[in-house]
Formats: sequence, C-alpha cells, structure tokens
Amino acid sequence: MELLTRDKVRQDLIELLKDAREDWDHSINVTDETGIFNDLGFESIDAVGLSSSLEAHFDQSLPFPEFMTKVKEQNLKDITVGHLLDFLMANLRQSAERAAA
Amino acid sequence: MSKVVLFGLDGATYTVLDDLVARGMMPTLAEFMRTGVRAKMLSVKPPLTPPAWSTLVTGRTPGHHGVTGFFQYDAPDSLSIQLISSRQLVAETIWSMVNRQGKRAGSLNFVAHQPAPKIDGWVIPGWVSWRWIRRLSHPSTLIDKLKAELPGFDVKSLAIDFEEERKAIVGAPIDDYKDWVGLHINRETQWFNVMKHQMLHDPVDLVGVVYDGVDKLQHLLWPYLDPALTPAEPDAEFLRIRSLCWDYFRNIDNLLKQTMELAGPNTTIFICSDHGFTGSWEILFINNWLEERGYLTWKEGTEAVQDDNQELEPSFYRLSAFDLTRTKAYALTASSNGIYISVKGRKDENGIPPEEYESFRRKLIDELLNECVDPETGEKLITNVWTREEIFDGPMRDIAPDLTLALRDYGFVSVRRNRRMLAKRPQILGTHHPEGVLIARGPGIRQGAVIDDVHLVDVAPTALYSMGLSIPADLQGRVLNEIYTPEFLEAHKLRRGEETKAVAAAAGADAPGDEEAEILEKLKALGYIE
Repeated sequence: MELLTRDKVRQDLIELLKDAREDWDHSINVTDETGIFNDLGFESIDAVGLSSSLEAHFDQSLPFPEFMTKVKEQNLKDITVGHLLDFLMANLRQSAERAAA
Repeated sequence: MSKVVLFGLDGATYTVLDDLVARGMMPTLAEFMRTGVRAKMLSVKPPLTPPAWSTLVTGRTPGHHGVTGFFQYDAPDSLSIQLISSRQLVAETIWSMVNRQGKRAGSLNFVAHQPAPKIDGWVIPGWVSWRWIRRLSHPSTLIDKLKAELPGFDVKSLAIDFEEERKAIVGAPIDDYKDWVGLHINRETQWFNVMKHQMLHDPVDLVGVVYDGVDKLQHLLWPYLDPALTPAEPDAEFLRIRSLCWDYFRNIDNLLKQTMELAGPNTTIFICSDHGFTGSWEILFINNWLEERGYLTWKEGTEAVQDDNQELEPSFYRLSAFDLTRTKAYALTASSNGIYISVKGRKDENGIPPEEYESFRRKLIDELLNECVDPETGEKLITNVWTREEIFDGPMRDIAPDLTLALRDYGFVSVRRNRRMLAKRPQILGTHHPEGVLIARGPGIRQGAVIDDVHLVDVAPTALYSMGLSIPADLQGRVLNEIYTPEFLEAHKLRRGEETKAVAAAAGADAPGDEEAEILEKLKALGYIE
C-alpha cells in the first residue's frame, strides 16, 4: 500500500530546513545528498527545534531521539536530507497504515 | 483588578538570594521582600525543570499535565522516546485560561512551549536553538518583527546555546568563566528587552518570563554562591569568580527593578522558581548497581565511561545500551532519576510477568533504600523512592518511570556504564533541591510577611485570583489566601469557574480513541495521502 508521496514530504522538509538557516536563504540548492551538519551548518543541538518543527508540520509525534541514536551508533559522517526523508516516510507511513487499518 | 507578571528565576533559592540581599548586592529584591510576602516553594518530585515549570503554568501535577522530564516515553505501550515539547503538555496553560476570560497573555522562555501555543498574545518558547525559534514562536511574525523594531535584538543571544549549557553540567575551564557568565547576563537582558518591547507595543494582562541563567550559574559555580562553602580565607581566584557570579545577580536585580517600573504599582509580581539548589559531591551510576543486583544486562560492546566523567547521560537516550531480553529494570535518563521496570506485554514481550509486578517492585524499592550503599562507609545513598502512583497520579501516570529516586546529596543519577557504582565528583557542582522561592508583591498583598510553604501548583490559581478571574474548578492547587490582606480578601471574593479546557493528548495514556482517524484526516489534508 503506497499512500504517501515522497516528493511532497521532500519538498516540505527542504523548505523547513532552508527556513532554519541563518540567513533564511531560500536560494540554496538542497538535494537528498545534502548533509544537514556539513552543508547546512546545523549542529546536533538543533535536534530539539528540528524535531518540534517536524512534529508540528506533520502533526504527529516522531521518535526523533531514536533516530539520532541510530545515527550515532552507525557513525555516520553526516545526516543527509535523504536520511531524514527515510525517517519521515517510515513514520508517516506507519501512522497512515495504522489509521487505515 | 491587577495585571500579573510571573518573574521566573529558574532554580532560585533563598540560600543564595538571602546572602546576596544581606550583602547589599540585590537592593531591589531586598525592597521587594520588605514590601511583599515570601514563602518556600515546594517543587514537584523529582524537582526537574520541565515538569516543574509545566506544573506552575498549568496548576496541575505532572500526572495530569503529562510532562515528566526532558525525554519521556511516547505512550505506556511504546518504546519510542520523545524530546519534550508542547505536544506532551496536555493540560491547559494559564495563558489559555486567561484568554478564555477575555484577557491577553505573553510567555517568554518557558520549557515545553515549542511549537508555541496559538494564544491571544505572544509566545517565544525556551530550550530552542536560535535557528528554530522563529518558526516555533507565536505569532510566526514575532521574531522578524523584533528584529525590525527592537534595537540590539539578537536572536542568537536570546536562544539557548546547548554547547554552552553543557558546561553547567560537565564543568568548564576556569578561564572560560568570565565569558560564560557574560553570555548569561547578555541573554537575560535580551529576554527582558523583548518583554519590555512587547509590554509597550503589544500589551497583555499576564506576562511570564523565565531567566534560566540562575540555574546554569548555580550548576557550574555553586561553591562560589553557597555561603556555607566559602573558604575561611578565600584566594584571589575564588574572589574573582565569586565577583563574576555577583555581577550576574546584580543584573537580575536591575531587571527586576526595571520590571517593577514598567509594570507599575497596579501589577502583582510573583518572583518564582521551579526548584531550589544545593551542592552535589558524588555520582551514582544507578544502572551499574542494577547490573550488580542482576536486574540489568548491558548489551555487548556498551562502553564504560571514566570514573570522573560528569556527563550523566549520552547526548540522546541509550535504550540500545541494554540487552532488553535480560533486563528487568533500567534507568533511561539522568535528570528524571527514574527507574523503569520491564513488564512482559507492556511495551514488548521482555521483562517480568505482569502478575509479579507488585512483589518485584516492593523488593526493588526495599533494596534501593537499604542496600544501595556507599561501598566505603556503608551509608545509604538513596533517601526516598516514590512509585508513580505516589508522584505521577493522573491520566498520564503510565508514561512515567515506575520508580523515582531521591539521592542523599540531591544529585541526579548517571545512566552511563562505569567500572564502579559510585564516584566522587572532582569538585562540588550545583544540583536541584526541592525547595524553591515564591516572593509576591502588589495590590492586596501583605507586606513583609513570611508564610508557610507553598507548592508550584498554587501559583496559577493565585495569579488568576490576583487578576480578578475565576479559578477553573479542576486546578489542583489553591489560591494562597494567606498572602493577601483581610481587606482585599473581603472585597474580592474567590470565584470558581468551569473546568480547564481539554488539550488534545499526544499519543499518551488517555488519548482519544479516534486519534488514528484524525491522523489520517490530517495527512490527507496535507496532501500526503492520495
């Protein structure tokens, strides 16, 4: 059952990340490969704001601490937009499937 | 009736304030005390910032408002952990209560307020880094408006800087102290400037602001602030650092003075703290103790920290550090001082059988109280163990830890793995104490009175009473009649109003049954479901 549109989630996520950049510059080119730390200049401390913003936008709780723990355990050099997108799609899909069941 | 200012001083304690008043460092506070009422303010258990401030602004205990710590389980049957946010604060706040009675409110720097509630007034949440504060404030144009209108406004200085805050917990090099204290002086001034600007240009009837540097300074620099710890012959370095601390509190005093001038004589000001402070000299590695007793098994490869590591928990929770198939009890986060009991069928199929829960819990409580001892002296390390029925009773009870500990030095447990169960801190650091402060001054408030202990839960109903508003029938606190003059009480009869307005729960214990259907609708509305 493919209910969610990845493109729409990507579009919203990118807008949200751009919005949080220092200069709120919407001209920067962000792709799935863009790293939120190295390329966008975020710090791990931005997790609270990012988490709350995503939850507010999608209007549901998201297990963000688990996501960050997995990232840490996998020793990833950066969290890319693609990683965040996978995390979001998995959780949004889970909610939608629960609701539809 | 009067307007109200909640002048929040995170972690403020009479141990420090009385000393500074006596030394003449805080003349405004001295005058405020002389012309107002003071009491010890009892915090929640455990005395922790998110549940404590949430209790103050809702007049409800954590089992009712739903905020139990900085991190908490999403739901009783879930192993998902949430960072605390306004989604978890499921009780109505005082900002909303005054709105419903036709008054406006402003809220600055309160925890668990992100994303900001859409009240009639304005909200800038606390504990949010500067990049996100604009998006998470209310109205959404507020930060841009302040940037345009308020000279010197700097969102980076206003928002919390987590890297700097870590120093309050793990210590910082002495050379950094001057800059670090300066950062907090600047931040408090920024918050005051925002409040002043808003009060002048977008006035409200109730405004609350939290100055959280008090907590941070006391965590890191407690030996310089507690007069009982002052050396008989302090050296130049001690005096220099203490002087920096005094500069911070002088600035707070100045902000109080300006607040009083701004608010005018017809405003009631409540100076309040979410908890008090004291010194912590040791670290209890509680999961090591649970391992020693056979209740916990670390997952292979979980690293042990150095004995003197003062960082009590990893950056994020580490449920993955435990072998849950062989773990019956574990502490998840440091600051909550909580122990979860793994019960088969509750969150997963691991843990003790449900029918053994009561006997297991009783045995664990007994062992924690009597057998968790200092290996060198045999002294008991844990002074109290509360069940969640005792301190989190309410609809959100079952998301809370099964047991909550109070330690002999009031410290926070470490949830990390260590080679030993107990370690001495290299130097005393500040930690939370259950007794904070309440000092009130304004129309109808007695002058120079010291009253018996009050509780955080009493602040919301009392503030509503001072505003001449009715008190929602289901608030758990009481109006503090004893702070008012008999004439004022006679002239202003207490009015009970309708119950607080329900706030949609997150995926909490008593979430509405049709929540899943609502999610589906929301996803449809957002265009995520075709």
